[in-house]
Amino acid sequence: MTQFPPPANRAIAKLVIAGGFGVGKTTAIGSVSDITPLRTEEVLTTQSTATDSLHGIEDKTTTTVACDYGRVGWDDPDPVELYLFGTPGQPRFWSFWHDLCEGALGAVVLADTRRLESSFPAADFFEQRRLPFVIAINRFPGTETRTLPEIREAFDVDEQVPLMFCDARNADSVAGVLLTLVQHITRITSAHSTLLDA
Amino acid sequence: MNSPTGQDSLEAEALEDTATIVRLYAVTDGRTRARHHLSLHTVLGPGRRPPRPGLSEESARIVELCGQRHRPLAELAGVLALPVTAVSVLVSDLIDAQALALPIPDRRSAGSDLQLLQAISAGLRRRHPNATAKAG
Repeated sequence: MTQFPPPANRAIAKLVIAGGFGVGKTTAIGSVSDITPLRTEEVLTTQSTATDSLHGIEDKTTTTVACDYGRVGWDDPDPVELYLFGTPGQPRFWSFWHDLCEGALGAVVLADTRRLESSFPAADFFEQRRLPFVIAINRFPGTETRTLPEIREAFDVDEQVPLMFCDARNADSVAGVLLTLVQHITRITSAHSTLLDA
Repeated sequence: MNSPTGQDSLEAEALEDTATIVRLYAVTDGRTRARHHLSLHTVLGPGRRPPRPGLSEESARIVELCGQRHRPLAELAGVLALPVTAVSVLVSDLIDAQALALPIPDRRSAGSDLQLLQAISAGLRRRHPNATAKAG
């Protein structure tokens, strides 16, 4: 009766794709996901500010925050199920960002050269949280592009952080970004275990 | 939604939020806290017992979805178009009733990360032979 056997033997891994509004996070997830990306909503309760009392019944404000979700899985050569979470533009809701990053191996900061600064908070967040990340610049056709050294200077991140151009609509290009991220995490993890073994 | 341009969009956003919150309370009988600690990536599978009759439409759908394949909480919330909190409450009830189970332990145990990373690389390369990683 079960059409798809539960992939019980697949190891679960989680990666986060973050960046400003409209930089192509949903597109990037959709390019590699086995399913059409889903929008997942969470309701957050925060202390009300004086200016937000239009509905004036509660002393708390409730807002919704949404993330994109996609997954890709395979059984060869080793069974893996990879969950991809796209985070909302600004880390306004820190608790939600922490939930989203819980258990994640690493993150991609996706950016658009026309408004690079909208992706700075994401890079700052991962740097502070010490979650390995790479920066991928989604090329929009016909837009002037800055050079990678200029972009690196603007982001002001550690020079170990990989930085590259990509096309969020292209599956191979997005897979290349994910591969770069996984190699980056591998380097950090190996260096860490070498230190521990020494 | 991240760049409200004026009062109209703010009001639209507030209305949209209200609709979501109404849905949240409607399916959980007003409860907003789940008994189990569940993350967005917590994987759920079928339990040992068939769901009891008279289950709500949403809960029955969750059991059906997890019977087809293991799915994380975020996927259930996305498919049902319900807030994560609401789905957490329903899933907790279903776990307690043994209609759902947590089949796979969270895989972050020490020493397995490198193997997992290698498995991800190998799988991505097989699926996307033309993809190239940038040398860091």
